[in-house]
Amino acid sequence: MEFYFIALFLLILGAIASVYIKEKNKMKVCSVISGLSAFLLAIPSFFTLFTGQKLSADIYLSPIFGNITFAIDTLSAFFVIVISFACFLGILYANGYIKPYLNKGMNTSSHTFFLMLLTASMIAVVTIQNALFFIIVWEVMSLSSLFLVIFEGNKKEVINAGIKYMIYMHISVIFIIAAFALLSIKSGSYNFADFKEVLNNTHFANIIFMLSFIGFGTKAGLLPFHNWLPDAHPAAPSHISGIMSGVMIKTGIYGILRMLYLINTPSKLIAYSVLIISTVSALWGVLYAISQHDIKRLLAYHSLENIGIIGIGIGIGILGIVNSNPVMTIFGLTGGILHVLNHAIFKPLLFFAAGSIYNKTHTRNIEQLGGLIKNMPYTSAMFIIGSVAICGLPPLNGFISEFLIYAGIISGLATDNIAIFITLIVTLASLALIGTMAILCFTKVSGVMLLGNPRSKNAADVSSDTEKIMLIPMIILAILTGFIGFFPQYAVFPVLTTIFEISGVSIPAISSIIVILKTINILFFVFLVMLLCVSLLRFVLNKSNRKHTTWGCGYNKSNNRMQYSASSYADLFISTLKPMFKRISHIKKPKDLFPKDAYFEVEIEDLEEAYIVKPLVKLDEKILSKFERIQNGNMQQYILFGLIFLVIVIVGLICIG
Amino acid sequence: MVILLINIIALLVLPFLMIGTIKKTKAFWAGRKGVSLLQPFYDFLRLMKKESVYSKTTSWIFKFAPVFNFTTVLFASLFVPLISGQAIINMPFGFIIFSYVLGLGKFFSLIGAMDTGSSFEGMGASREACFSTIVEPAFFILMGSVVALTKVSTFENLKIILENAGIYGYLIILLTAFTLFIMLLIEGCRVPVDDPTTHLELTMIHEVMVLDNSGADLGLISWGSAIKMFLFEALIAALIIPHNFPFWISSLAFLGMIFLISIIIGTVEASIARFRMTHIFEFIFIMSIGALLVLTLVTYRIYGN
Repeated sequence: MEFYFIALFLLILGAIASVYIKEKNKMKVCSVISGLSAFLLAIPSFFTLFTGQKLSADIYLSPIFGNITFAIDTLSAFFVIVISFACFLGILYANGYIKPYLNKGMNTSSHTFFLMLLTASMIAVVTIQNALFFIIVWEVMSLSSLFLVIFEGNKKEVINAGIKYMIYMHISVIFIIAAFALLSIKSGSYNFADFKEVLNNTHFANIIFMLSFIGFGTKAGLLPFHNWLPDAHPAAPSHISGIMSGVMIKTGIYGILRMLYLINTPSKLIAYSVLIISTVSALWGVLYAISQHDIKRLLAYHSLENIGIIGIGIGIGILGIVNSNPVMTIFGLTGGILHVLNHAIFKPLLFFAAGSIYNKTHTRNIEQLGGLIKNMPYTSAMFIIGSVAICGLPPLNGFISEFLIYAGIISGLATDNIAIFITLIVTLASLALIGTMAILCFTKVSGVMLLGNPRSKNAADVSSDTEKIMLIPMIILAILTGFIGFFPQYAVFPVLTTIFEISGVSIPAISSIIVILKTINILFFVFLVMLLCVSLLRFVLNKSNRKHTTWGCGYNKSNNRMQYSASSYADLFISTLKPMFKRISHIKKPKDLFPKDAYFEVEIEDLEEAYIVKPLVKLDEKILSKFERIQNGNMQQYILFGLIFLVIVIVGLICIG
Repeated sequence: MVILLINIIALLVLPFLMIGTIKKTKAFWAGRKGVSLLQPFYDFLRLMKKESVYSKTTSWIFKFAPVFNFTTVLFASLFVPLISGQAIINMPFGFIIFSYVLGLGKFFSLIGAMDTGSSFEGMGASREACFSTIVEPAFFILMGSVVALTKVSTFENLKIILENAGIYGYLIILLTAFTLFIMLLIEGCRVPVDDPTTHLELTMIHEVMVLDNSGADLGLISWGSAIKMFLFEALIAALIIPHNFPFWISSLAFLGMIFLISIIIGTVEASIARFRMTHIFEFIFIMSIGALLVLTLVTYRIYGN
């Protein structure tokens, strides 16, 4: 645990120190410190994962908090490794990304300060075992990420996104506080270890789980409170999007898993609600991703999809526990938690690549891009690798976790409960649908953004690829996607130790998973060999080729605006599912004989935002405007209101007591 | 080892013969004599020798996509029981890898089409991607039902439906074969979904995606799609041929089935025209309905009483 505390101390020290360092050196110092702390944190975490031993230390802080337990058990260890490593890569990438913003009067001091604070607080969140302190650190994490999101705070949409993010995070924390408050009243302690006993009551456990599921689910971006994601990610700088989407929303998943650790026997209700909400979230996310043309907004919706897939895996695992089917449990949970790791690899990769492209072209609208594979070959290749991985296609890492979830579903099919059977079949079909829709979405993005001809001057003017310092983190991540894909049996090892406690599964179930993954390992190498042979045969035997223009039915003066655009690529699909979208079109029709300017633009609004959030906000405004008259700016009156409130509370307490 | 060799030979020879049979059948219904059964093979050889024309717009993706697409089809064939009645790789959950590997091939052929910067090819890619969002879930519902019925998660399960399904066995087999046949027509780009012989770009799906491919690339693509069709035919054959026959009878039955299904495809092509784009959706949904019917029957069989 000494390493852990040194690392945490280093991060906080780095946060403070970064304020006083020269602007151009800030990120360098930050990346050195976060790299060092990632290394220090890896030592105890890997120790725990390999030996299964729980490390813990108590710190006496004050009479209110009592003893605060910091502990690294297998679940924490897994998350600590993922968080510290992804944050390190994110900060490394930021070295290059931040350059255009330097010496422009931007507040880089606060940026680096909160970046380090976010890293520290995320690591603390997954290791603290005390409810009260957990909420404080959780709040530090939410607020520091808020300040990171509003880095470009001089833009109006950035501030709006920031406010939205703050509101959603506080809805989330209300539910978490409610759950923890109930728990600590019942158990008379703030320590997680003491919660275990009171959660033996199934009814109580259900209530607690539902509360914390809504709270943590909002952080993770699950429906129905997902709407902050597609706004916050485009507003934030790319390395922040990468860190937030890659690891910060996973703290929500950590919370849900921690709750499951504490609940000994999860009920059917828990299993079904996790499964259903996750499936709907995943479908919703990928559906809206297809309709988006802002690259970062699209990737944000894909976070929703991937969190949904993680949730499906966890849901299948819980259903396996309920149904006492250990094979299903182990496959589902392993798939779900491995997807946490996988998503923390390919999502930052995609965000980093998108950020590099934004840095060069200054636009996030994919309709304005195109042909980047020629001028930015490495970044484009990285983006394509990330796309293949996120679509869950072999031989990269996304496939392994999705395969395991599929395997979990299929091993559960032999059940004597018809409700479970139908749920599993529906989940199976949904997962297939999610996969193909992801393919549709990412062929759209890669095809329109990277391939073809440049669709605007911005895209055509790109002269060089990304800087090395931004490329290195991407290459590391891309290698990792390949490694987990080709050697799944090693990658799955830490995950298996992580879920050993929660699932209580037997050794045969674990060995069956290893056997299958070893087969996949061999199969993928067979695939690689086949690919090499075919390409050798193809390119050695017949080398003759010549260049010409693209076939245009005999017309060879086709220009860049004649290419298929992203809207038209997605249109067939979107028009088929018309009721699922709300289209807002801005049209200026051409007039007169010689029309001057005309345009047509379609915006797709989230149904949830249009029909749930907006009416609620309106209602809220209506009610609250009634209270406008008492807001008169008079300090004395405000103090009076405060006193009246206190009196009511005290009278209420006396009445109850 | 023998199985491997036989399967490889089947993969090399039968797809061409299959295409030849379809062409011959179409010619027969049109009252023509038709080309020789081996003509598709000669076409392939001719294409392999030709030089490729690449658009100036394209990048390495376009060059690489046909190779990738072909390799994935070849790899997917390892999971399908071919002429010997056995698949080369018989691992649990094999059909997921089968489906996802084909998805990988599709991914690359889609972005390969987008790489040309042509409006035609983008249109084809958009359609292909859109249709597969309906096909894949139906396929997974179908396979999920069969797995639930037989408790086996490789394609071997298609062979043992009859033992597990009792009196509904024949109905389930019929519906499964029908659903797989529709999937074959969609994935193999045959009439009434797509027409491999037409030159009207506006109504095409897969064919328009490969408009810019030429020479050896086109050869690989056409061989790949022939193998893909052959794999679906093999799945239907595995479904119908009883598995307890001696080796040589079941091999002959397999050849007969391939021949028969090809004749059916040819007859379908000769008798109906390609649907309008709006009707294709309806046609693809027939596959979903078939899969759901199988699911209903299986559910009734397992939980009925």
